[in-house]
Amino acid sequence: MAPTNQVLIKESSNVRTIILNRPKQLNALSLEMISRLSEVFHLYEEDPNVKLIIMKGEGRAFCAGGDVSAVVNDINKGSWKLGANFFSKEFALNYFLATYTKPQVSLLRGIVMGGGAGVSIHGRFRVVTDNTVFAMPETALGLFPDVGASYYLSRLHGFFGEYVGLTGARLDGAEMLACGLATHFVPLEKLSLLEDALCKANSGDPKIISNIINKFSNKNPKLKEKSQYFRLKTIDRCFSRRTVEEIISALEKEADKNMDDWISWTIQSLKKASPTSLKISLRSIREGRLQGVGQCLTREYRMVCTVMRGEFSRDFFEGCRALLLDKDKNPKWKPSKLELVSNDMVDRYFAALDDKDWEDLKLPARSNLPSYAISKL
Amino acid sequence: MDSSSPSPSSSSSMDRVNFRTQVLTRHLQNNQTPATDLLHTAPCLNYSPPELSEPAASFDTKSLRKLLDGQSIEDIDYIFNLMIQSKLFCPRERGGKVFIAPDFNQSMEQQREMTMRRIDYLREQGAFDGWFSKKGPEGDLWRFALAESVSVYDHSLGIKLGVHFFLWGGAIRFMGTKRHHDKWFKPTETYEVKGCFAMTELGHGSNVRGIETVTRYDASTGEFIINTPCESAQKYWIGGAANHATHTVVFSQLEINGVNQGVHAFIAQIRDGNGNICPNIRIADCGHKIGLNGVDNGRIWFDNLRIPRENLLNSVADVSPDGQYLSAIKDPDQRFAAFLAPLTSGRVTIAASAMNTTKVGLAIAIRYSLSRRAFSIRPNEPEVLLLDYPSHQRRLLPLLAKTYALSFASNYLKMMYVKRTPESIKTVHVVSSALKAVLTWHCMRTLQECREACGGQGLKTENHVGHLKSEYDVQLTFEGDNNVLMQQISKALLAEFLAAKKRNKPIKGLGLEHLNKPAPIIPTHLTSSTLRTTQFQTDIFCIRERDLLHRFVTEVSQYQAQGESKEHTFTVTYQTAEDLGRAFSDRLVLQTYLDVEATIPAGPLKSVLSLMRSMYTTIVLDEDASFLRYGYLSTDNAAVVRKEVLKLCSELRPHALSLVSSFGIPDAFLAPIAFNWVDANAWSSV
Repeated sequence: MAPTNQVLIKESSNVRTIILNRPKQLNALSLEMISRLSEVFHLYEEDPNVKLIIMKGEGRAFCAGGDVSAVVNDINKGSWKLGANFFSKEFALNYFLATYTKPQVSLLRGIVMGGGAGVSIHGRFRVVTDNTVFAMPETALGLFPDVGASYYLSRLHGFFGEYVGLTGARLDGAEMLACGLATHFVPLEKLSLLEDALCKANSGDPKIISNIINKFSNKNPKLKEKSQYFRLKTIDRCFSRRTVEEIISALEKEADKNMDDWISWTIQSLKKASPTSLKISLRSIREGRLQGVGQCLTREYRMVCTVMRGEFSRDFFEGCRALLLDKDKNPKWKPSKLELVSNDMVDRYFAALDDKDWEDLKLPARSNLPSYAISKL
Repeated sequence: MDSSSPSPSSSSSMDRVNFRTQVLTRHLQNNQTPATDLLHTAPCLNYSPPELSEPAASFDTKSLRKLLDGQSIEDIDYIFNLMIQSKLFCPRERGGKVFIAPDFNQSMEQQREMTMRRIDYLREQGAFDGWFSKKGPEGDLWRFALAESVSVYDHSLGIKLGVHFFLWGGAIRFMGTKRHHDKWFKPTETYEVKGCFAMTELGHGSNVRGIETVTRYDASTGEFIINTPCESAQKYWIGGAANHATHTVVFSQLEINGVNQGVHAFIAQIRDGNGNICPNIRIADCGHKIGLNGVDNGRIWFDNLRIPRENLLNSVADVSPDGQYLSAIKDPDQRFAAFLAPLTSGRVTIAASAMNTTKVGLAIAIRYSLSRRAFSIRPNEPEVLLLDYPSHQRRLLPLLAKTYALSFASNYLKMMYVKRTPESIKTVHVVSSALKAVLTWHCMRTLQECREACGGQGLKTENHVGHLKSEYDVQLTFEGDNNVLMQQISKALLAEFLAAKKRNKPIKGLGLEHLNKPAPIIPTHLTSSTLRTTQFQTDIFCIRERDLLHRFVTEVSQYQAQGESKEHTFTVTYQTAEDLGRAFSDRLVLQTYLDVEATIPAGPLKSVLSLMRSMYTTIVLDEDASFLRYGYLSTDNAAVVRKEVLKLCSELRPHALSLVSSFGIPDAFLAPIAFNWVDANAWSSV
């Protein structure tokens, strides 16, 4: 495959810096980029001359997600299987990164959403900064937190993962560090110095790398006064509930006691999201908590294929129309209410597809994994 | 993978490559060791997860879990989620993974407080909402799932919860009437009232009818007066009594106008809202135990405690305000049976929890045996995986197959309980007695084997397999001593048999219908393929039950012909009674297994199920002495059976990992040795 300019690579002795280079689209991942990333990550794993991989984005975003409008286009032109193909490549890459044997440092400047989180959060070091904005906004789009999010969101403190995954709440750098999505916080002005230092150190030893990042880090970035991270108790109380309906009614009870902007925003975002998406997302995160990263991605692949096929709900297409194409921000979900989405319907998203050409996600074979990757299996 | 060979042929090719590379490196560094020096083991051991070296599952592990946990999977997994996400459940990182388990190094008092706080947490999350209002089989199954899943974390938590909801709550539900339901359900569900269940006494356990606590009625005040007349009448082992319980159900003889009406149950308050012990009550601690220290077992004495007349749980019998005893059931024996019958739910949960604990033990020991190696068979070859030794397979794999068989039986019991009718109560009682005994014995035996199979690692509390033995030992005797239960089964079978004979009708129920048919014939020369047929397996289990029942009938009637009393007869015929109890249980387990197997379409899952069924039956034939003792197997055939066990082990070996994965126990509930035990013990983790 001809090298694409959508992914640039900088070589400096044993360090490779991968730059997502589609700044006009906020580095949204195209199929081309995903293929290229898979190719270089495979290559570097085998290459003894490569010790460390740095990943960053060109322009003001790290990566705004998978290029879903392209996926929708493909599906509209051809078959849902083109969409399935995109996600199978993307999820296989996510798995590869989650079980990567060499350290990956992601410099998360600006927006990190959806697929952008998928190519960074699974890696060993996630460096956030002053202008980082993280979100898994899929439920508003008729999708669900994918790219292995059911693995990493479910492992956040308490039920913060359910909160982030269902509401699409935006987290800043300090919040990401506090909840564990990020490993380090480095002030914006020091980010390029850090990059230089990492290249200069030319080491693949996680301890050395960690020491270098620590030198540039702000260990205790201040959470903003109204940070949602101060609401953990309420979040745990409400988002630990068994069903989406119960979560909403628990939030409404909290609101009766003490209404404020945050709680009304939280309730609103759940009411605006696709009911089907909310239900499958909650179940996905709950199942993910008891599974390894490979099982999570395999399950998410079944789910995403069911979404793409659009047999039970076409919310994803409606969400993309309302938010990405027509931009009227007024999606008409179907089923329109939570109570209309039955357990049986939810079950369908978690079952193998009855299609003779369809297969479960094929995870790349791994061996000789480092212990931190083994523990994710 | 050819696992029948004792050579390390099943180690992955990757391991061989690695090892070879390391050998070559040492060679190039001119750092040779004599090739014959077996003691000198070479390069550092790396942990390799079994997932990477073992063959992929040949069947769908999710479908197999569905056979185990059925429609309760979501209920169970939700409780797992709640526990994993709370700091109260003591998450600890070991070898890159998070495990949750109680801190057993805490003092008894601390452990008890933690148990209570965990219950408070689950209650705050709404986990118990609807305990009394959820109706029908779904409600029962949900309650069972809740109790079972918390026990996977900690037996104390399960028992503490079980005492409050199943025993205290169950007594009110089943022995009480509307006035009790209206008054107690709500505060029980919200834990405003913390209940306990005072049945056992220092002097009387299994023999409930012998308890000595006495209650009389005072018509002038409309109150009952409860008394502990002597030290042996003190209530003993009362879970919750030592620290937390505010109320108890008291079992006591009821004496009306000088006539003893037998055992009845009353509600009594034992602590006030501030936790102070009420007047006329004395409470002492049962003290530190070999396990289950998160439950505050206590002792209670009643000194002329007065309670209102309404506190008699009056579903079966009542006392009128003027002191008349009223009951629809005249026969005190029947009254007592009707009274206790609904409490069978305790045995159902004990049996199910025993299976979950067995699964935890096996998942840990088998995962460890798939990553731990010992001894090289040939010089400079990697050491052999523990589970590639036929002897190690023989120790663990039959227990694995048996665990599946007994889990299916436990589900059968559960379904039988939730669909119970007044007519089926007796059957539920017999089946629950049999399975409670057989499953808990299996649990303890498996844990012991797992602990030994893990070597020294099995001794560490964090690795569970050893520690669980003391946590679960109690199940062998509570809610009925296992040996007593086995004898009760035989008595029940005898009664059924005699009743059918008396009516001159074919015998029906308890799966005994095979007795109406001619006795099956066992081939004189067994072969491997015969051993695996359902026909043979069913036949030999049936013939054993049939013969032992006949022997028991003969033995009992001989004693009675000599003028011995019924009671004495049963105490002297216990050997046959116990053999018969086992024969009944084993045949029942096989039958439920066949029923499950019949629901699965032909394919890889069915194949592995039938392999495990053959393993189950063959191991019973190999291990239970009755087959040789009574001649159902000739010594020649016993030798064929023994050989077959070895063969079955090697056939089951490639499925070992997928079979323990199908248990659906989340990693967090297993132990460090089940995963990266090298990292978990590295200097950097100290």
